[in-house]
Amino acid sequence: MITAEWKPIEEMVGYLRGHRKVLLIGCATCVAECAAGGEREVETLAPLLAMAMQNDGNPIEIVSATLERQCEPEFVASIAEQAAEAEAIVSVSCGIGMQLVADTYADTPLYPGVNTTSLSIREEPGLWTSRCAACGDCVLGLTFGLCPVARCAKSLMNGPCGGTRENGMCEINEDTPCIWRLIVERATARGQLESLVEVKPPKNWSNSPAGGPKRMLREDLRS
Amino acid sequence: MESFQPEVTLLYCRQCLASGAKPVEGRRAGEGFSARLVVLPCSSKVQLPHLMRLLQAGSDAVQIAACPEKACQHLVGSNRAENRVKYGQDLLETVGMGAGRLGLERGAGLSLDDLLELAGRRAEAVRALGPNPMKGV
Repeated sequence: MITAEWKPIEEMVGYLRGHRKVLLIGCATCVAECAAGGEREVETLAPLLAMAMQNDGNPIEIVSATLERQCEPEFVASIAEQAAEAEAIVSVSCGIGMQLVADTYADTPLYPGVNTTSLSIREEPGLWTSRCAACGDCVLGLTFGLCPVARCAKSLMNGPCGGTRENGMCEINEDTPCIWRLIVERATARGQLESLVEVKPPKNWSNSPAGGPKRMLREDLRS
Repeated sequence: MESFQPEVTLLYCRQCLASGAKPVEGRRAGEGFSARLVVLPCSSKVQLPHLMRLLQAGSDAVQIAACPEKACQHLVGSNRAENRVKYGQDLLETVGMGAGRLGLERGAGLSLDDLLELAGRRAEAVRALGPNPMKGV
């Protein structure tokens, strides 16, 4: 899922000063799964923002809504009436949903209520960890299903590096296992350790986000 | 501040009550405060939106009465409620409302007087914070 985290409430208060009526919108998909922008979080944040603004000396009316998916135009169109009545919109969806809302209601200021942070898995209740970096050239077939791009602090293609701790954790964050240690362990368990020393073709980084904005076209799906 | 009579919403788990006691709901007057009692099937039914909406609506404080640890009929229900309250307290501090407006205490075999005592303790905790600035908004 795409994960996000609430922005500091002081930052949101700064955005909202001067507005009297605001629409707060969430998304019931990814950001609901990571407890940042689903209905429960929207209905928690709306009264909190109202209280924060009251204490800031700028009372505000906050109307809330949670869309099934904020990245689909049909769902975003469903809030046209509330958007027309609002002086500003705060979105707690990922940056994708936020931009669709900003495009759809371009005359209304849109402020982010979250920072979009990663493509992660819910590893256990209350803990989300990265699994994918959307690098555009998947190497999971070579790395035994463990991603060194998203899960190595240096995105190494030939780890482990010299910074792996004796307990197998990463030198950058000792709560994070060295992914190359896990790759080696899995390769060993499968009796395929030697495959890791084979010379691999260079990774195609030009298809990664660093290669510029993506444009994916499928002519067969266009009307 | 002398005349401040805190209005406390007390959300209590029905399993906290003394055996055979009938759940009580509605407003009750305490000494120097008033309490609105709301019965829950389990304290874990409390979610953050409920707590924040109660405070936004003007309640001076919200107190939750939960079962003792390991006595929860849903095993971890009261622990979940406690975690939510701690998280909610941090959020309230952030928005300038004060963490003391929200609390949780555990108890078993409680009477109506005991419930009012729990509400009264929350009222005392909130007295220094003053009336909820959202009152009447």
